Amino acid sequence: MSSLPRQCFVLTRAALAGLPGRLAISLSMVASIALVVAVLIGFLAVAAGLERTLGAGGSREVAVILGGGAFQEIASAIPPDAARSLQADGTAAGIALDDRGRPLLSREIAVPVEATAADGQRRMVALRGMEAAGPRLRPGSSIRTGRLFAPGMREIVIGETLARDLGLDTGSSDAGPKTGSIRRLRLGPVDWAVVGIVAAQGGAADSEIWGDLDLVRAVFDRQGDIQALRVALDGPDGLAALRAALPGATPSPLDAMTEADLLAGQSAPVTRLVALLGWPITLLMAVGASAGALNTMMSSVSERRIEIATLRVLGFSRLATFTATVAEAMALSLAGAVLGAAVALILDGWSTSTLGADGTALVFRLAVTPAGLMKAGTLALAIGVLGGVLPAVAAARLSPLESLKAGP
Amino acid sequence: MTPFPPSLPGSPGFIRLDGVSKSHGRGAGRVAIFSNLSLEIPRGDFVAIMGPSGSGKSTLLNILAGLDPVDAGRVAIDGCDLSAMGEDARAAWRTTTLGIIFQFYNLMPMLTAAENVELPLLLRPLSGRERRERVATVLDLVGLGGWARHHPREMSGGQRQRVGIARAIVTDPALLLCDEPTGDLDRRSAGEALDILGRLNRELGKTIVMVTHDPAAARSARHVLHLDKGAFSPAGPEVLS
Ligand SMILES: Nc1ncnc2c1ncn2[C@@H]1O[C@H](COP(=O)(O)OP(=O)(O)O)[C@@H](O)[C@H]1O
Ligand SMILES: [Mg+2]
Repeated sequence: MSSLPRQCFVLTRAALAGLPGRLAISLSMVASIALVVAVLIGFLAVAAGLERTLGAGGSREVAVILGGGAFQEIASAIPPDAARSLQADGTAAGIALDDRGRPLLSREIAVPVEATAADGQRRMVALRGMEAAGPRLRPGSSIRTGRLFAPGMREIVIGETLARDLGLDTGSSDAGPKTGSIRRLRLGPVDWAVVGIVAAQGGAADSEIWGDLDLVRAVFDRQGDIQALRVALDGPDGLAALRAALPGATPSPLDAMTEADLLAGQSAPVTRLVALLGWPITLLMAVGASAGALNTMMSSVSERRIEIATLRVLGFSRLATFTATVAEAMALSLAGAVLGAAVALILDGWSTSTLGADGTALVFRLAVTPAGLMKAGTLALAIGVLGGVLPAVAAARLSPLESLKAGP
Repeated sequence: MTPFPPSLPGSPGFIRLDGVSKSHGRGAGRVAIFSNLSLEIPRGDFVAIMGPSGSGKSTLLNILAGLDPVDAGRVAIDGCDLSAMGEDARAAWRTTTLGIIFQFYNLMPMLTAAENVELPLLLRPLSGRERRERVATVLDLVGLGGWARHHPREMSGGQRQRVGIARAIVTDPALLLCDEPTGDLDRRSAGEALDILGRLNRELGKTIVMVTHDPAAARSARHVLHLDKGAFSPAGPEVLS
């Protein structure tokens, strides 16, 4: 039976008993680790939130056709003849048909426009012009209050998060669908009637404005422009059929992908960027926190050197001294991790906004994920180990003769 | 009293120093403490070591404790050649053979008297119950049976030193080493501590080596050795005054 655990227990107890005397320096170690943990969790929460927003509601039954080799709607252009041929052809390969036998397809355009937020600030938002089928081609979104815009009318519906951001009354879903305008909103040169609020469970539609394609194009002088075609696929093999049919529909290069793939492809670079920024910043801070931990633990060992040396005279092993010192460092860093995670968890679900790919506001919610908590916790323990090992070696190498330097 | 020669009567030598040399520091700062020092102390003796400050009394005690290695010569205690043992081996040997009593008690402030006394037992394969029984026995022995649950800060210096003595004897070691055990105590507390050491020597046969500059403390020993300028000399009459 090894007495190592008992030795470590006594040494750890001695260390904990000394904590009040080293409160300031121990708290600074806990706080600096908490900061690192909170920042890392924060970065990861931004990445996860963006990923969730950009990737949410991505359907495999809906395809988006982009032109000009673009992977982003904003950079895409579809020749009108291509749209016409796909729309006119009653047997368009891979595209599902509506109850009147016409392809379920929406020509779309996204225009960056200025809107006034609740705080009085002007901000860029995405106004999406779409055809009647457009809302049906977004299975993740639904009208929460009010109704959809009517074709040919100067009406819009607004994503829930954006509406709240702009200070619009989003109503309550319990109140039942409202008829008529909720408010008027000036976009570009004209006023629009806000007739409905769209909810997309954190999807991109939450921060978009939708209106009738022809009206949006007319108001913003974009007649004839089409950026994307959104279609319903007629089955699991629909996408392959559609892709095979595209070269026949138009000489210009078009590509089709499922909505899910498009969103995933859009979110990947943003998420990667956040992670790319987040990790170096966090690791740099972690180096600082390790130095702080080292300092704290060195002072802990040095303040207890007579106690440690006395226990060594009594026969306590160097291994126990080493282990207990590392354990103390890890206990402090664990406290830091818990504190940092608690702070970060307050941020969970907070919504914030950033600029989307087209310069318009993209509203998303911070998402603190278990994976993020795990990573931050691991980093905190790594800081504890890094900061604890050298002092632990110092403690283990402490001469038992130090015990004789006790004073009255 | 037989203060001299350094080979004390009674054989075989329980403690043997043969031609021990020891210096402190390195390079230009090197100070020789002993060269070619020899000493023999029989089992069951109670020896007081006196001498001027800086004469190497503590160094000698640390050598006997296996805490400080010698430069040359041989140190053997109860047949164990300390000078041939590594640090870990000496540490293990200490836990079985030796009890150390410190001038400033070196108690853990956050532990109770009983927990302090229990510390050396934690290294042994004893049950909690066995440990508690042994702790209670030695606390009674030093007259602190009622103080088991008190912390050092609640105790007088004399009581703390008695906790220190209890901790040193709880493993039932053959040898007790004490460096100025009464150095921080008032006369009455010092007397109580010395009484306990005397009883441990007489009744339990503990061999005791005690460094002291207090003649009254030295009088409780069976023999007095005087250490000066790196060599033992007969204790002068001041010891007995
Ligand atoms: N670790 C050390 N390093 C250098 N010099 C030391 C060390 N320990 C003791 N000395 C010196 O060795 C001499 C003897 O010390 P010590 O054994 O403590 O004497 P005493 O206990 O008799 O007063 C003193 O001059 C002291 O300064
Ligand atoms: Mg001394």
